[in-house]
Amino acid sequence: MPGFDFSNHNRNIALHARGVPLPKATSTGTTIVGALYNGGVVIAADTRATSGPIVADKNCEKLHYISPQIWCAGAGTAADTEFTTALISSNLELHALSTGRKPRVVTVMTMLKQHLFRYQGHIGAYLVVAGCDPTGSHLFTVHAHGSTDKLPYVTMGSGSLAAMSVFETQWKRDMTRDEAVKLCADAIQAGIFNDLGSGSNVDVCVITPEKTELMRNYITPNQREKKMRDYKFARGTTAVLNEKIITKEEISKYVVVEDVTGEQAVGEKMEVDQ
Amino acid sequence: MFIARSEYDRGINTFSPEGRLFQVEYSLEAIKLGSTAIGLTTADGVILGVEKRITSTLLETSSVEKVVEIDRHIGCAMSGLQADARSMIEHARVTSQSHAFNYSEPIKVESCTQAICDLALRFGESASGEEEESIMSRPFGVALLIAGHDENGPSLYHAEPSGTFYRYDAKAIGSGSEGAQAELQASYHKSLTIPEAEEMVLKTLKQVMEEKLDANNVQLASVTKDKGFRVYSDEEMKTCVSRIEGE
Amino acid sequence: MASISSFAMPSEAPTYSFAAAQSASGQPRQHGFYPYTDNGGSTLGISGDSFTILAGDTRSTSGYNINTRYAPKLFKLGGSGPNHEGSKIVLSVVGFAADGNALQERLDTIVKMYKYQHGKDISVHACAQRLSHILYNKRFFPYYVHAILGGIDEEGKGALYSYDPVGSYEREQCRAAGAAASLIMPFLDNQVNLKNQYDPNSGPGLEKVQRVPKPLDRTTVEEIVRDAFTSAVERHIEVGDGLQMMIITKDGIEEVYTPLKQD
Repeated sequence: MPGFDFSNHNRNIALHARGVPLPKATSTGTTIVGALYNGGVVIAADTRATSGPIVADKNCEKLHYISPQIWCAGAGTAADTEFTTALISSNLELHALSTGRKPRVVTVMTMLKQHLFRYQGHIGAYLVVAGCDPTGSHLFTVHAHGSTDKLPYVTMGSGSLAAMSVFETQWKRDMTRDEAVKLCADAIQAGIFNDLGSGSNVDVCVITPEKTELMRNYITPNQREKKMRDYKFARGTTAVLNEKIITKEEISKYVVVEDVTGEQAVGEKMEVDQ
Repeated sequence: MFIARSEYDRGINTFSPEGRLFQVEYSLEAIKLGSTAIGLTTADGVILGVEKRITSTLLETSSVEKVVEIDRHIGCAMSGLQADARSMIEHARVTSQSHAFNYSEPIKVESCTQAICDLALRFGESASGEEEESIMSRPFGVALLIAGHDENGPSLYHAEPSGTFYRYDAKAIGSGSEGAQAELQASYHKSLTIPEAEEMVLKTLKQVMEEKLDANNVQLASVTKDKGFRVYSDEEMKTCVSRIEGE
Repeated sequence: MASISSFAMPSEAPTYSFAAAQSASGQPRQHGFYPYTDNGGSTLGISGDSFTILAGDTRSTSGYNINTRYAPKLFKLGGSGPNHEGSKIVLSVVGFAADGNALQERLDTIVKMYKYQHGKDISVHACAQRLSHILYNKRFFPYYVHAILGGIDEEGKGALYSYDPVGSYEREQCRAAGAAASLIMPFLDNQVNLKNQYDPNSGPGLEKVQRVPKPLDRTTVEEIVRDAFTSAVERHIEVGDGLQMMIITKDGIEEVYTPLKQD
């Protein structure tokens, strides 16, 4: 059966009522931004993934591929952003194949909002959708409940306020590519340094009608410090309570060698176009 | 003289025009009526000795308690109004216990003495509701010799009803104090041993006591590093007294 | 350390002093006031043969926000003047910063009063007992802090005492407290007390003998402390910005500040 499996739902509700805590999802408590500029669109993201106050991944990817010219930045529950974008990406590919047209950003936005609305916010994906298609360059945000916005510059995630403060003071109309990239990277860094849910590096993706440029770890302002001491343990530090040596010869008794002869060995021939 | 005083000797916290507090001075007089008590410091500890006035042959001598324990390492001898001493000693005991409870260390002898002297001044007339309401209508009528042993070694303090205190090598209080102090002044030296100090205390008491000194009408106590405060048993008293009688 | 209770810090999620008011009108509404906040951060103390080192990061947080990048969690007790000249005892507090500050001020006053009343500096031993009482006196409205007290004992050896929020305490070799305690403490167990380390030259299998911990020298301890914090910064979002270290020796207290990552 495709789709979600709800068979454990009632059991989980009962467990929760008896005080069993809900499992903690990895949240990309994140800063993601996007900005349109003259000739294209830029999106950017930090690379920290958290589970409560613990950093689960120091260098995760929050910029997701939808189609060659459409990319998506995701905040919220990591699994939800990953699966939702992958699902829409697949469906979009099929859609493009069946219509014989290049996919459009509005289409992606519409498919996302319909999918998310159906799940009434339970799929915790908060997305920034950006890309170029035959109708131009576009930038949208999609919230987990299904609402969308179309704006020239957007921020989302726990670091959205820090990032928006950069946009609101420095954004201007008709920026160049370099200006837009710098502005987005600065907005992400505001999130990295002022929001505890965001951290580590800056990923940037620049999309123009001609090409897409993904700049993974565009800025790395948080390199790990070298440790002062050496923590190598001398061999024999860990106690070996018992030891059993299995030789290659002994292992071979578990292996069944069967000689295959004649036509079977060739296998079925594959049908190949001439 | 009496007339000059009468105007100012009633209010307990009123100075006379000459700058005197008569009630406090009278309280010092009360001590001179008390039995004699002597304290002597040696390098190894402090010896306290008191005279017990046995007013009747029917009196149970062990009920006359003039040397008492404040803490394991502090003891005290008294002269003057015994009943007043009870509340001072109670205060000193509570202070010592509270210090040990809060800081898990024995209180210093000086700090304990200071605590007693703080209490000594809480007399007089103050408006009700005042923050520090006084608890007594008159000054204490008793002086204390506080002997102890702490991280600074053995020490002896004399606390008066006026709330002042001084540290002494040797001190006598009570009715025979003048003669006893003069005797101590003459014979005290720093290198006394404990047995020598015991003898000096008993000999000095013997000189100033009206009755003939024996093992029943004097009491010795000591504070040493190892044993802390200890009141001498009847047996020990007998041997100590026999030592000075032998000479 | 069974006596130290697992006193739950308020919450890991963003917390606010006022509970959200319910919106249903006409219904009886319960108003709440939650007087505690978790300000994050971590502290750590290690005592050596002739010194004690206390350390703490300087970040103060509430929820996902940074209140300030420099809020010291280490306090000198006693001493004279605004810089606590001559002080030999350090208190570190982590948890609810307002309670931490209130506790530090109370204990500082007590240490100063002790000197006036008794004419000598308070010993760490006595100060430790007093701190326990201060905490227990608020048994039913506790100071929401994990305190660590460090100094030099009467024999000149490093002394370290750690507390739970209601006053249970113990003298230890090392202790980590606060947000990243669960990250740092196992590291300390392994590196300071050599837990789970066997002598490589001892016999095979069950004949192996545990490595015996010996007092560490000062530079080693300083390096362990720095490494503990640079690692905690990597994996805990509430730890960062700066590392404040105080090294207590018989000659007094040395204070060292090193920057940490700010993300």
